[in-house]
Amino acid sequence: MRARWAWTITVIILVGIMFSYTQDELRTTSVLSFSLRYAIPLIIAAMVGLVCERSGVINIGIEGQLLMSAFAGFFGAAATGSLIIGTLFGIGTGLIMGAVFATGAVAWKMDQIISGTIINIIATGLTSFFYAQGQVLPASTPVVAIPYLKDLPLVGPVLFNNGLFTYAAIIIVIFLQIMLFLTIWGLRTRAVGENPSAADTSGINVQRTRFINVTLAGGLAGVAGAYLSLEAAGTFERGFTAGRGFTALAIMIFGAWNPVGAFAAALFFGLTQGVASQLQADEVVDIPPQFINMLPYVLTIVLLAVVAGRVRPPAAVGKPYEKD
Amino acid sequence: MSSDGPAQTDLGFTDPNPTLGPKYGVVKAFAIPIVSVLLAFAVGGILIYFQGVNPFTAYRVLFESALGDSDGYLRVMQKSTPLIFTGLAVVVGLRVGLFNIGAQGQLIVAAIGAAWAGYHFDLPAVVHLPFALGFGMLCGAAWASIAGVLRAYRNVSEVITTIMLNSIAIALVDYLASRPFKEPDQPLSRTPLISDSAALATFGVIPSGFVIALIVSLFFGWFLIRTTEGFRFNTVGLNPNAARYAGISVKRTIVLAMAVSGALAGMGGAVETMGVVGRFEPAFNAGLGFDGITIALLARANPIATIPAAILVGILRTGANSLQFETGIEPEVVDVILALTLLFVAAPIVSRYIFRINAKRKSKSKGRS
Amino acid sequence: MHRKLLVAGLAVAALVLAGCSSSDDTATDTTSAEATTEAAEETTEEAAEEEVTEESAPAVTMDDSNCAAPENYCVGLVTDLGKVDDKSFNQAAFEGAQLAAGEIGAFLKYVESTDPKDYMANIGQFVAKEYDTIVTVGFLMAEASAAAAAENPNINFVGVDQFQGETLPNLTGLIFAEDQAGYAAGYLAGLMTETNKVGAVLGTDTVPPVLYFGEGYRNGVMAANPEAEVTVVYHEPANAFTDPEWGAAEAKKQVTQGADIVFGAGGGTGNGALIEIAKSPESGKSVFCIGVDIDQYNTVPQAQSCLLTSAEKKLVAGTSALVLASFDGTFPGGNFVGATGLAPYHDTEDAVPAEVKTEVEGVIAGLLDGSLETGVVK
Repeated sequence: MRARWAWTITVIILVGIMFSYTQDELRTTSVLSFSLRYAIPLIIAAMVGLVCERSGVINIGIEGQLLMSAFAGFFGAAATGSLIIGTLFGIGTGLIMGAVFATGAVAWKMDQIISGTIINIIATGLTSFFYAQGQVLPASTPVVAIPYLKDLPLVGPVLFNNGLFTYAAIIIVIFLQIMLFLTIWGLRTRAVGENPSAADTSGINVQRTRFINVTLAGGLAGVAGAYLSLEAAGTFERGFTAGRGFTALAIMIFGAWNPVGAFAAALFFGLTQGVASQLQADEVVDIPPQFINMLPYVLTIVLLAVVAGRVRPPAAVGKPYEKD
Repeated sequence: MSSDGPAQTDLGFTDPNPTLGPKYGVVKAFAIPIVSVLLAFAVGGILIYFQGVNPFTAYRVLFESALGDSDGYLRVMQKSTPLIFTGLAVVVGLRVGLFNIGAQGQLIVAAIGAAWAGYHFDLPAVVHLPFALGFGMLCGAAWASIAGVLRAYRNVSEVITTIMLNSIAIALVDYLASRPFKEPDQPLSRTPLISDSAALATFGVIPSGFVIALIVSLFFGWFLIRTTEGFRFNTVGLNPNAARYAGISVKRTIVLAMAVSGALAGMGGAVETMGVVGRFEPAFNAGLGFDGITIALLARANPIATIPAAILVGILRTGANSLQFETGIEPEVVDVILALTLLFVAAPIVSRYIFRINAKRKSKSKGRS
Repeated sequence: MHRKLLVAGLAVAALVLAGCSSSDDTATDTTSAEATTEAAEETTEEAAEEEVTEESAPAVTMDDSNCAAPENYCVGLVTDLGKVDDKSFNQAAFEGAQLAAGEIGAFLKYVESTDPKDYMANIGQFVAKEYDTIVTVGFLMAEASAAAAAENPNINFVGVDQFQGETLPNLTGLIFAEDQAGYAAGYLAGLMTETNKVGAVLGTDTVPPVLYFGEGYRNGVMAANPEAEVTVVYHEPANAFTDPEWGAAEAKKQVTQGADIVFGAGGGTGNGALIEIAKSPESGKSVFCIGVDIDQYNTVPQAQSCLLTSAEKKLVAGTSALVLASFDGTFPGGNFVGATGLAPYHDTEDAVPAEVKTEVEGVIAGLLDGSLETGVVK
């Protein structure tokens, strides 16, 4: 039911893209590139929420994790003069933030919402407090065009002429889709998220699985943060994640807790942004940008209200696991 | 656990009725927040020390500027007022087992609503004041009710919906202030000033909004503990299944509690507009809603305890700029201190060290961790 | 056990960070050198060392313990929610204050507001210490500045970006014709473009100076090159100045669509656009960017390769001139229109043909003497 609905919309959008491509090649590819670019940090951040929730932990601290790793990535790269070390700094900070969150939300069985809130507030405070001006990245991240594929019409310039993080994001999505649904790890993770008691009975260490998954998800937040400061913006500003960690939650839900679904949702919201700013730039219609920006959130609430029951989070989300 | 009731959250205050609790509860209610605040100050002091400033000087400056003169008192009260309301909003939600992290959104929606009611109408003060205040509360309640209804009837997590509603609220008030409600003939995205008849007065150094906040929190101290409805709130929060068994309508209670919570946050926004700012203007929302979470937890979900908790946060926020003025420490250090406070209040480490015996019992019952 | 290690690790990380950022901080004095080190203009360097040197200056005021004494001169600065290290607007005003303070041996201190309710109180801190001149930065503070000036006739107030409707003798609004700077930048872009397409990525149009920059730019391009196509996008008001990723993505989109010059104006958001353009392999050869507010060659070094110029509000000069005027007793009151113009070409000096330079200079002169209108409705 829902799947058919989603497919219909996807097909309509694709047809629309093809049509606009025949009308104006350059505008279409540039708007699509914008959409992909807008989607990349959101999609990686959505994977953070997805891995956590599939394990039964709701993570509203993604925003803070992104901010901290973007900060560490940028200043790490600036201080060491190496983008690679900067990236590692970002991912490492993400892992630390993930472990801190897991310590509170899993090991200490603190309320998961409070743990996430703490991460957000601490990240905002620390990154503003320690922000220092005048740091510059040693280089800009390389753009890697994939031979042959890049020459394809439409998809070539959009998909196959990007920075490394963009490819990484696509690989992460496919990897997680496979991992979650085709491997033992995925089975265990989903079991822990859906029915921890049963998982425990069958010999899965619920607490350990959750701790590890939430920590590793923090590493993904590190990738997204490093992407933001090192590749996408090339700089760091106070509070510059601008709510992307929360949008990522919307995207995760919109994608029905499914990596590929979330990817599609992120692209869809990217497309609305790209089209809206293009309409503004071309002075066609001036849609108040606020309406475009609230779209992901409004649609997510509508979706949750309408298809509640059919789209639902993993059953054990939000509840610390207590052995009976 | 039933999936159609609110998730049970262990926030460390499982005792719903602090006045009836054993001595342990009373000590815990005071000791943990105090120790947490002190610990946060200690860690904050280390940060300050590494910026090359004596932490004791820094804290002295911070408190002196907030509590040194009548102007300081006025500002602390002004800053604490919306915080008491957002703290209460979170507290009411917690009592029913709901996490209202949307106080921020409810507050700004109510703030612009009260501003509109305040400038758009010309009424005598006796009517205008309650009307503008009530309209703001209504906006906040309506905004929160979206989450309440979805929670009660569609079992959608109120955490997710209130996060979404926060973002929508920011965009919405942004739009309203920059287009339909914009003050004409000037460039800023702000509403016109409210009429004098809708302005809350300040008596000497005491803003009337602060007095309202005190009365409201005392009222909720009574309401949650002494009334039937309050009993329903607590029962639903503690065990929705038992509540249902006892004939309490869980759905109705959830919707009502969320609306009350939103109305409280909304009152914070309305009082801020009517008593301090006088209009809705850019940067109206300086994180007031999120401080509410810290305050509610610091108050351990006790409505009356939100008063000292909010005043503490108000003092820190008031003193932050003087800290920069006197020592050069960036005002964001206050955010770090507040985050650490929240961490220590919520984390079991503090309570474990304070109540070793109890902690031992507790950790045993919870299995290895 | 592992938990303790984690906490310890985090603490160590925090301390390392603390060490990094405090090492170059002159902790006892808020005129921190840190804020300006990379803006390595000679003038600002002088200003940063204001307390140490200055041969011509009178006795250097070391602190604000006795600002009331005639031999001590104190200058205070308050921002409206901005930071003095924002690489553009606030930083420029602060540097101007530093420059003036250095010249007259004054003591300078700043406070960054975090809440609109604090404007009066933050100004009040300087008033209480009897500062001689107080600079308030940003149009959000206009009302607070006017109120404080009315209450304290003995203190001179400089209101940066604050237009004065009713004038007070001790309050001077430092305002700029942003539309003229934008127009000049647009004119240059219109002459320079090879593709006849130019773009602009801006902060929100709800902030007047940004709007005037953007619309002036649009009109400038059209005046120079009626065949050119101008693409102007504004960020939504929320996070308008702190979203470099959006700025970068929009800039990229405009370049992909054929624009070869992009004007980035809007704090961090605009800086993101500049940095993105500089990443292009054609940066400085056939693709250029234009900065805003101050010479961003100094504040956004990543963008040096593409930076054609910056549409400058001479904030440094304007602020320092007014602080000096206050010191000299020639404080004008009312409105003071600061100079606008274009920053030096720096690395793109050779890329701009001499006749283009001459023509743009002519346009700037025309705007200054009033013979040329930007057509922007204020």
